[in-house]
Amino acid sequence: MKDSASEHTLSGETFGLPPQQTRLEEFWSQLRKNRLAFAGLVIFGFFFLVAVVGMLLTTGTSPVLDPSLVRLQEKLRPPLSGPNLESLLPEEVPPLRVYLLGTDELGRDVFARMLQGAWVSLTVGFVAVGLAVIIGVFLGGLSGYYGQNSIRVGQVILVLLALWVVLGWSGMSGVYLVVLAAAAVVVLASMVLLHRGKSHGPFAVLDAQLISVDALITSLIDIMLCFPSFFLILTVVALLPASIYNIMIVIGLTSWMGAARFVRAEFLSLREQDFVTAARALGISDWRIIFRHMVPNAIAPVLVSATIGIAGAILTEAGLSFLGFGVPPPHATWGNILSDGKNYLFDAPWLTIIPGLAILVVVLSFNLFGEGLRDILNPKLRERH
Amino acid sequence: MTSDPLLIVNDLKVYFDTEQGVSKAVDGVSYMVRPGETVCLVGESGCGKTVSALSILGLLPQPPAQIAGGEVLFKGRNLLELAEEDLQSVRGREISMVFQEPMTSLNPVFTIGYQIEEVITNHEGVSHKEAEIRILKLLQDVGIPSPKERIHDYPHSLSGGQRQRVMIAMALACSPDLVIADEPTTALDVTIQAQILNLFRELQEKRGMAILQITHDLSVVAGIADRIYVMYAGIVVEEGSVWQIFRDPSHPYTMGLLESLPGRREKGQELATIPGTVPDPTMKPSGCPFHPRCSYFQESCRDQFPPMCNFGDDHLARCPVIHAERIA
Repeated sequence: MKDSASEHTLSGETFGLPPQQTRLEEFWSQLRKNRLAFAGLVIFGFFFLVAVVGMLLTTGTSPVLDPSLVRLQEKLRPPLSGPNLESLLPEEVPPLRVYLLGTDELGRDVFARMLQGAWVSLTVGFVAVGLAVIIGVFLGGLSGYYGQNSIRVGQVILVLLALWVVLGWSGMSGVYLVVLAAAAVVVLASMVLLHRGKSHGPFAVLDAQLISVDALITSLIDIMLCFPSFFLILTVVALLPASIYNIMIVIGLTSWMGAARFVRAEFLSLREQDFVTAARALGISDWRIIFRHMVPNAIAPVLVSATIGIAGAILTEAGLSFLGFGVPPPHATWGNILSDGKNYLFDAPWLTIIPGLAILVVVLSFNLFGEGLRDILNPKLRERH
Repeated sequence: MTSDPLLIVNDLKVYFDTEQGVSKAVDGVSYMVRPGETVCLVGESGCGKTVSALSILGLLPQPPAQIAGGEVLFKGRNLLELAEEDLQSVRGREISMVFQEPMTSLNPVFTIGYQIEEVITNHEGVSHKEAEIRILKLLQDVGIPSPKERIHDYPHSLSGGQRQRVMIAMALACSPDLVIADEPTTALDVTIQAQILNLFRELQEKRGMAILQITHDLSVVAGIADRIYVMYAGIVVEEGSVWQIFRDPSHPYTMGLLESLPGRREKGQELATIPGTVPDPTMKPSGCPFHPRCSYFQESCRDQFPPMCNFGDDHLARCPVIHAERIA
């Protein structure tokens, strides 16, 4: 029996519906209740604002605060010291008439450099870790959910054909393309026939099971973990044009393995839970089950490791910049201020303490926010607050 | 009961590849469900009830499971041959399922309203407002008190019985023609059990859907079933109406089951049991799978797989020995 018309004539007032609360509103009110998480979000928002303002103040032909202005006679001044107005040209005097965060070994204003570096450092952290989390959740989810499903010879051939076409697109003649496309169609058609159990004979080899999805992805993870990732990044960066976005992507592409393992492990236990079978029994598609139903249940450990990953990514960028592969000098980032400053650790400790503190606070605020996010995503944990 | 059957399971065979050999969990099971009736699959743990029900909707992971034969005809279509996408539109919309364990069958991170809404919007393109009204109606129908407050609740703040009611609401969301209930009351205490069973009955009267109940609890069966299939070791050993099965059990296994009910004995007497244990599904006895435990055992049972014998009025049992006795 399908729904009778009477059910549709009922209106919300019949039940005296409470005012609608969308998921976003619910999310927001939960966040407001969780003070630490809200503080984390506020601090992070503040840093983001500083980064944007800093970018505006320090770029252009005559920036308000010039981060690359060298004043050798003013080097290694401690924070809050005033400039020596007699020895400086009028345009070299900092506009605030004070070195808020001191100067470095070349007499550059650290405040200006921190402002300039904020944008790069924040985006490196978040883009790289965001990419790593997306790849990790995707691969970990597939590996955990499909697990023992086998990859068949035919599927591998199809993927190879597709790769061949994509990689050799420009330099390939038309005849070649037609042959490849025809091969793909033959393979696909015989796989479909095999799947229905209507075809046998020589094509049966296409249906042979090669390796399970899980084995493939976990061995990919192991292979990626085998490489010392810093050298992998160095190799890739050496081949690509130097750009901060390439750095972010490369850092992301080499640091997803932890997230993938966490998600896979969670999925292995979640997969057996009844609500997954129940969702399937009610006709919900695999993709929706994986990414809508299971990922929120599995995300907690990933968020924790991601917050630590942000600090790691900022420092990796610093290391790359130090070796000349990252952001080219004299552009500042928190990482290269930190690594330049370590030579003057005892003479000018503010050169390491200030960027170090900034990274710490960003990571901490994201950590608090991440923990709050975990509680919001998992309603059972809300009870504690 | 002259209407065409809604669901016909015909000689279904589901095998599992295990390290000990092929486990024949379901080995040639046939049953049917007519529109609007309640059919019970009864049998002890491990006799293949759940496996046969899961394979109707293609929910068994293959491998290790493997459908070795048979067909599942639903409204004339063989569900075993449908593509996954077509099956998804059958699941939840035409056939839905209620599971045994209400504590874990709901996703802990979504509100119950959201989970029911997902089923509705997944199958029918209705607006959020419209869906919400239907959800409230459903929650009211399944007896959740003050549904407009509960709709934003998360599963952990509901009791087991309430969660099972929500599961039933989800199963009914798209008004399916058949609801498969896999031991829906096993995890609940007895008073809640009775409420849930009554709920099924009421909803069936209101909506006219068919119910396939899977249970090992004979007292549940007696209360709700129109017809019963008794399963043992992967086969159906007896089928008939409630009356026929309870009054006139014609297979030694059914007799043994009924004998072992506590109510059948005087106070102080020891309960009757069926000697022996269920056979290992990888090494089933030859002939009749029940023969090593059977009190009616004859030499012929060892070699010949028993045919279904007709005891009149659609009452069938796989026991030629008793059949011969009754005829004589």
